[in-house]
Amino acid sequence: MTAVPAADVPLGPLIRLEGLHKWFGDNHVLRGIDLEVQRGSVVVVIGPSGSGKSTLLRCMNLLEEPTEGRVFFEGVELTDVRTDLNRVRRRIGIVFQAFNLFPHMTAKQNITIALRKVLKMEREEAERRALDELRRVGLEGKADSYPGRLSGGQQQRVAIARALALRPHLMLFDEVTSALDPELVKEVLDAMRALAEQGMTMVVVTHEMAFAREVGTRLLFMDNGRILEDAPPRELFAAPRDERTKSFLAHVL
Amino acid sequence: MVETEIRTGTAGETRPRRDLAWLLQQSTAPALATAAVGAASLAVVIVGTLVRVSLGGWVPLRDEVAALTSSGLRALLVAAIVLGVAASAAGWSTYRRMPTRTSREEAVAGAVLGLQGVILGALILVFSYGNVERIAANYLRWSEVTDQVGAFLNGAKITLLLAIGGEFLGVILGVILAIFLISKRATVRAPARAYVNLFRGTPLLLQIAFIGLALPLGFNVHANVLLFALVAFTLNTGAYSAEVFRAGIQSIERGQMEAARGLGMTYLQAMRYAIIPQAVRRIIPPLMNEFVILIKDTSLIVVLGLTAGQRDLFNVGYQGYGNSFNATFYIFAGLGYLIVTLPLIRLVNWVEKRMRSGLVGVTGL
Repeated sequence: MTAVPAADVPLGPLIRLEGLHKWFGDNHVLRGIDLEVQRGSVVVVIGPSGSGKSTLLRCMNLLEEPTEGRVFFEGVELTDVRTDLNRVRRRIGIVFQAFNLFPHMTAKQNITIALRKVLKMEREEAERRALDELRRVGLEGKADSYPGRLSGGQQQRVAIARALALRPHLMLFDEVTSALDPELVKEVLDAMRALAEQGMTMVVVTHEMAFAREVGTRLLFMDNGRILEDAPPRELFAAPRDERTKSFLAHVL
Repeated sequence: MVETEIRTGTAGETRPRRDLAWLLQQSTAPALATAAVGAASLAVVIVGTLVRVSLGGWVPLRDEVAALTSSGLRALLVAAIVLGVAASAAGWSTYRRMPTRTSREEAVAGAVLGLQGVILGALILVFSYGNVERIAANYLRWSEVTDQVGAFLNGAKITLLLAIGGEFLGVILGVILAIFLISKRATVRAPARAYVNLFRGTPLLLQIAFIGLALPLGFNVHANVLLFALVAFTLNTGAYSAEVFRAGIQSIERGQMEAARGLGMTYLQAMRYAIIPQAVRRIIPPLMNEFVILIKDTSLIVVLGLTAGQRDLFNVGYQGYGNSFNATFYIFAGLGYLIVTLPLIRLVNWVEKRMRSGLVGVTGL
């Protein structure tokens, strides 16, 4: 696992958000977010639907452009128009709720396409790394299967392998188990747990409270576009301070 | 981690066989008889009429008329109608009581085929008592057409050249326009949008007339008028295929672009490796439909005042009718179009069906 930053990367937080606001039309989705994520931490974001969790996550690699505020990753300001986002995004892996595998490519090709076209890797090297990543998520036998032939859990593990193959410094998980049948959730969470144990820095938007408690090093509760609580998971579950956190936890636990 | 296999069939059970023996076993004698009689009724009407007229000969015309009005054919038609009525009556009255789905379908098929035999037979019978001579002389005088077969073949060549050329060049133009149309920048979109709206908002006939007649006159350029027609078809097809491409690209789920960009691909790489390969499958069927429409629309060059060698399939027929006032020319031209378009339409439907079934379950959700 290459979660260890390269030597030339400045120290300090891996990612820093300053005064982030996001409007979709008249809809004020993020209302002033300030956040720093340290290397090696697993930040879990929970909150009711529509609270802005996914938008916050997608602002971290600028798939969503913040209306106001600044985003820094490894000391580079992503919100500066002069920043080459394609370069930065190689270092930030993202996994989606809907998997978003390329349906016209096999599992292996889904992984090699970025290695070859983005990292300009040779075919043999890319294929070797793709098979390594598939093995890591337990799917080396499915290398030549198309996504349509895989179960949801398998597709999501391929999507994780695809993101990891670029050796990112940060992994973003956007409700990655929400579209899965209950019996397939575990295999995906297991893969994420293994990743966390290897020291990967992760930001995880999820509804899986058990995962948040066991794997998270830090738990954020969001509501109405703001971070209302920010504490270690056990602390937050045991003694929520905000009324809305209390009522949310009462509903989901 | 637990491996989960996707099942493609019902493992452990053998799929029930549906062969001829099984069909016969599911049938009952009355149901089979009804189906046979109904089918016979319709067959006698169609095959009987064609054979009787062919025996008499399609050329010259009086043989055709003699065959159509012959007492032999009339007796055959009456017999077919009787068969049809019998099959219909038997089928409609018994199908509810048939013991199996197969036998019920056979009874219904017999009743429906019988009804079709009755209707078609009655139509031909009534027709044979009408003014067959006049109708045949106007619509089926093949001798008028036989010495124009060469002109028709040349017409078919021009129709296909215009359609294929217009489609090919139009698709190239359409790709370029579509690239502009999907831009997120209004300044890039606007000119392409204006172009597309202009050519979709005015009649093709007007475009052909303007480009083929008005432009050469106004700018004093002279060339084969078919060249101007080709330009008109290209510009028009460009506008329509641009919309097909735009819709195809925009129909790909947003998540595909996000996944590609999230992996660090540039916009162009995402388009080339993730979006376009998927969009092409959705674009091909509507594009082929546009081509079938273009084949027929090439006939609009009628406004250009063509010389003999320039006439397409329709215009050869149009010219022939103008000279003889005999509509056999139109029938012949129409058959010419069908020979080209029917296989294409079948091909489009086949491709569409294959692509639809090929995409089921592929998108993951």
